[in-house]
Amino acid sequence: MEYIRPQNLKEALRVMKKRGGRTILIAGGTNVIPDMRGKTIKPQVLLDISHLKNLSYVKEEKKRIRIGSLTTISELVSSKVIQNFASILSEAANQLGNPLVRSRATIGGNLADASPAADTAVPLLVLDASIVTERDGEKRREIPIDQFFVGPNQTVLKPDEIIKEIFFPKPDPKSKIAYIKLGLRNAMAISVVSVALLMEMEREECKEVRIGLGAVAPKPMRAYGVEEVLTGKKINGKLIQSCCEEVEKEVQPITDIRASAEYRRSMTSVLLRRLIQQITT
Amino acid sequence: MLELRIIGKPIPRHDAWEKALGLTSYAADFSLPGMLYGKVLRSKPPSARILSINTTTAEKLPGVRAVLTAKDVPKNESVTRFGQTHTMGGGFEGLYRVLADKKVHFMGEAVALVAAETEEIAEKAIGLIKVEYQPLSGVFDPLEAMKPDAPQVEEGKSNIITHYEVVKGGVEKGFSEADVIVENTYRVPFVDHAYMEPESGVAWIDEDGVITIRVSTQVIEHFRGVADVLGLPHNRVRVIGTYVGGGFGGKEDITVETFLALLTFKTGKPVKLTYTREESILCHSKRHPYIMEYKTGVKKNGQLTALQARIVSDAGAYVYLSPWVLLYSMVDAAGPYRIPHVKVDGYTVLTNNTFTSANRGFGAPQVCFAYESQMDELAKGLGIDPVEIRKINYLEKGESLATGQVLEHHVALKETTHKAHRALGEKTASRGHLKIGRGIASGMTSYGRMVFLHDTSRSHVSIEMDGSVTIRAGIQDIGGGQASSLCQIVSEILGVRLEDIKIYIADTALTPLAGTTTATRQLYMSGNATLMAAQEVRKTLLKKAGEMMRIDPQRLDLVDREVIDIEGSGKNLPITEVVKTCASEGLPLYHVALFKAPFRNLTQYERIEGDVFPDFTFGTHAAEVAVDEETGKAQVLKLVCCFDVGRAINPLSVEGQLEGGAIYGMGYGLTEEVILEKGMTLTPSLSEYLLPTSIDVPDVQTILIESGDGVGPFGAKGVGEPSVCSVAPAICNAIYDAIGVRIYDLPITPEKIVKAMKEKRKD
Amino acid sequence: MKKPKTYSLEINVNGEWKRAEVTPEETLLHVLREKLAHTEVKEGCGKGDCGACALLLNGKAVNACLTLAMQAHRQKVVTLKGIGAPERAHPLQESFLRHGAIQCGFCTAGMIVSAKALLDENPQPTRREIREAISGNLCRCTGYKKIFDAIEDAAKRLR
Repeated sequence: MEYIRPQNLKEALRVMKKRGGRTILIAGGTNVIPDMRGKTIKPQVLLDISHLKNLSYVKEEKKRIRIGSLTTISELVSSKVIQNFASILSEAANQLGNPLVRSRATIGGNLADASPAADTAVPLLVLDASIVTERDGEKRREIPIDQFFVGPNQTVLKPDEIIKEIFFPKPDPKSKIAYIKLGLRNAMAISVVSVALLMEMEREECKEVRIGLGAVAPKPMRAYGVEEVLTGKKINGKLIQSCCEEVEKEVQPITDIRASAEYRRSMTSVLLRRLIQQITT
Repeated sequence: MLELRIIGKPIPRHDAWEKALGLTSYAADFSLPGMLYGKVLRSKPPSARILSINTTTAEKLPGVRAVLTAKDVPKNESVTRFGQTHTMGGGFEGLYRVLADKKVHFMGEAVALVAAETEEIAEKAIGLIKVEYQPLSGVFDPLEAMKPDAPQVEEGKSNIITHYEVVKGGVEKGFSEADVIVENTYRVPFVDHAYMEPESGVAWIDEDGVITIRVSTQVIEHFRGVADVLGLPHNRVRVIGTYVGGGFGGKEDITVETFLALLTFKTGKPVKLTYTREESILCHSKRHPYIMEYKTGVKKNGQLTALQARIVSDAGAYVYLSPWVLLYSMVDAAGPYRIPHVKVDGYTVLTNNTFTSANRGFGAPQVCFAYESQMDELAKGLGIDPVEIRKINYLEKGESLATGQVLEHHVALKETTHKAHRALGEKTASRGHLKIGRGIASGMTSYGRMVFLHDTSRSHVSIEMDGSVTIRAGIQDIGGGQASSLCQIVSEILGVRLEDIKIYIADTALTPLAGTTTATRQLYMSGNATLMAAQEVRKTLLKKAGEMMRIDPQRLDLVDREVIDIEGSGKNLPITEVVKTCASEGLPLYHVALFKAPFRNLTQYERIEGDVFPDFTFGTHAAEVAVDEETGKAQVLKLVCCFDVGRAINPLSVEGQLEGGAIYGMGYGLTEEVILEKGMTLTPSLSEYLLPTSIDVPDVQTILIESGDGVGPFGAKGVGEPSVCSVAPAICNAIYDAIGVRIYDLPITPEKIVKAMKEKRKD
Repeated sequence: MKKPKTYSLEINVNGEWKRAEVTPEETLLHVLREKLAHTEVKEGCGKGDCGACALLLNGKAVNACLTLAMQAHRQKVVTLKGIGAPERAHPLQESFLRHGAIQCGFCTAGMIVSAKALLDENPQPTRREIREAISGNLCRCTGYKKIFDAIEDAAKRLR
């Protein structure tokens, strides 16, 4: 095995292209190292990008927020910009793992690992984020996040592609956001279900809505069906009930040691209802 | 003697200071030059025949110094009495097999051992050992395993290891007198001790051929078992016990000792073996799952009339301490209550699951969950308060258990329940979907070993020429302040400051044997032995001092290395003078005391009758729980424990045990389960096996009652295990109070609550 | 077996520069314990589930088992022994002792590291913030209460 620490992103990309195959990127290491321990990955080259400080940033621009892929989870928690414009992201980040893990884990790593329960993915789905990637000798890609995940721990990333940045448009100041994670304990818990909601109301009508769900499908997902049910409608008890019924149809949860599919299904609608009620009152 | 100077004071412990500084050398922190690394090959299938084992490739790997299988073990199988010194029947023996031979019986059973120059090479060698398995059908449910046509876990042996009975009066009569009868089946799961320190040790063989094993263990006396396996005389195997990073019963059986001894014996080199966490969860003992069918009857006036129970425990693939644990459960099964008619049948049954053995509480927590849930159900049936029904039925000093043992010491249950319940204070208000409920549960847990084991402990106390004091005791320290409590006792008796005492522990070659650190027995047994030893040394010193000072020894006391006249004559004498005089006159400046627990004998073990334990610790837990009635998530807001501890030798240590035990019990109640499916462990690491974190726990409140009526030194009782038993049922009862549904199997997960509420709505 | 490729690690541990030959996949935990004689850093699980191996890497509390040794090349690491020593113990160490917050002691090193990281950043934490700060450090013995008390007290004494 080899250890390579590139001086910059360009160099990292060159190594990825040249060495191909069993070159594994490591940043925070909080997934890669346990995966190596569990022998689910067997790298030939460990390409350490954790020192590329220029990939760690949170930038506020006029219309959007840009986050460098190596921004740590704890940096997301404490960033004033994120707290101001996308508090659901710092809230979700604050419930990822535990403080020791959050100091090292990165937003890029969380997304690349692509767990169906990925803590940062769910708020980012609702924020309509895009993932900026680069490959040596190729044009950079901007992948909308709802096209980024393909299945459990699978993304559209090519073997030599690196996430450089995540950006999202600043949510309309009139919109409200909320997030909730259900786990079996209060720290170090993999989500049983997680829900993020963005809603913009016009009087009593739902002008725009985005719903992100985690741990209830092979990948973090947007509940487009439910969004359709809600958009342009007046929010009342009956409508919320329809949403709950719709979301239960839309999710594809599995049964595992943490929860049954049935429980996950009903909890999705419970949590969705709570978030809608929270936002609309 | 005057009033107590240091007993009862919350003193900082000497070992805690070293731990705070990072100086303590735990088992895995120790290394020797030329040391090899050991690894264990473990079976993948839970039940299979071993057709062949090919170690050739592994042996040829450069850096590998030994590859051992069953054929290389001098005595691979023995019928062990698990530390009893005399045979008493009762099914208290079991097969101890070092390495799997013709078959594997549970997933993770040790099949081969490797020693190599580095850990990496050892691990690679493990991967190169080729084992051919022929999967066999296995049995994974103890109820299935009891059936006559069930696959036999151990060929030629019944899966039913043992059956015990408790009979008092006639339950049919009892039930006919009852106005309300409640019948339920309770289930509790496999759980892991999950000590923070995985199993570890280093062994070496010296120029004399003596094998020394420096190991994290609760029982250094396994040296005998190890010697027998190797075919060595007992006096040529030495075990040194380190300060243990958590035991809880999981390091009570042999873990790495035999493997280490074999590898060092074979290679002639020091060997270190440390389990990974995954390995620890996979292969070390678990708490027994129980299936408990309970039927309890009560009269309108609240008096219990009859209790009938059938208890089946899953012993896993090997006997280990299963009969013992079951016996504890038999004595505890009816709870601390006055019941005229009792019948309990207990079975412990082999399966192809991970073997089960000691875990903090040792059979008491399981039945406590059942009998304390029953009490609340009975209260509901009668329409009376759960506190009230208990007060009506609590046993008192002088009354007897269903097994006939008279409770000779103070029973503080009424007081503990009253105080615990009251300490909950004002009830938190329910709001929205968060419903608040309160529950209590009481427990009775023995401390001290079963009396027919003829338990003893020894302690050696000596005073040096300069007046400093040395204690030598075989006591194993697993974090509960076992060693420091002995220092505190000696400090009290000999009037020396704690800084002037040095204790050497847990060395089979050099410290008098103190017995196991299990069964909440050490304060009782070694505390008393140390007390006796210190008192003898004191007597010798004061007698000589009296002669030297020409004062009646009754008037003398030892204070900070001086002999003083308590009647204020002002005369005093430095202790060094007394010591020198004793030495020159050939008087002993040390004493090794042997303390014996009461020795009794049971004439038979089918029906459990008579005195089984020296004493019991009684206590009550009160819990306030918030249940989210839609998600089922339960949060313990308040947890109070009130215990009669006899005497708190060190209040910090006692509170620590109670607080820790409360959370140990809370995990049992709400989140912990080692999930086995057809013998396969589905919760391999601490990501899946969920311990409470710092933001899951309430601030546990402890209330100590000191009746002074324990059999330990200064009237102390033991609390290590009693602290756990009644927590889960208290939480379960609180959940019932919150949302009106009862869960009959642990852990009480959110999903179980939601399911139960759904069922309830259907009715 | 082919000899694995190694790298020369330079690392500052508790103020002292140290060197070791390490393989790419070797964790900081492994190197500190096995090659640099820093056994005060404990291994409880090896994959970030328990916090026993917590130490300060450039001032931030992290799991040593989730950091490659080479990721700490030329970086500063502080372990429990760098926080306090017998001659000059840290108020956290004294406080843990005084409050009975240490039983088996195996979680203590990581616990004190997380507490130090908290107090460095937030000298006046609420009890809630204390609980959050150590939520990655498991303790099986104490039930955590005396640990909260000890950290609260140490914070007061440090002010």
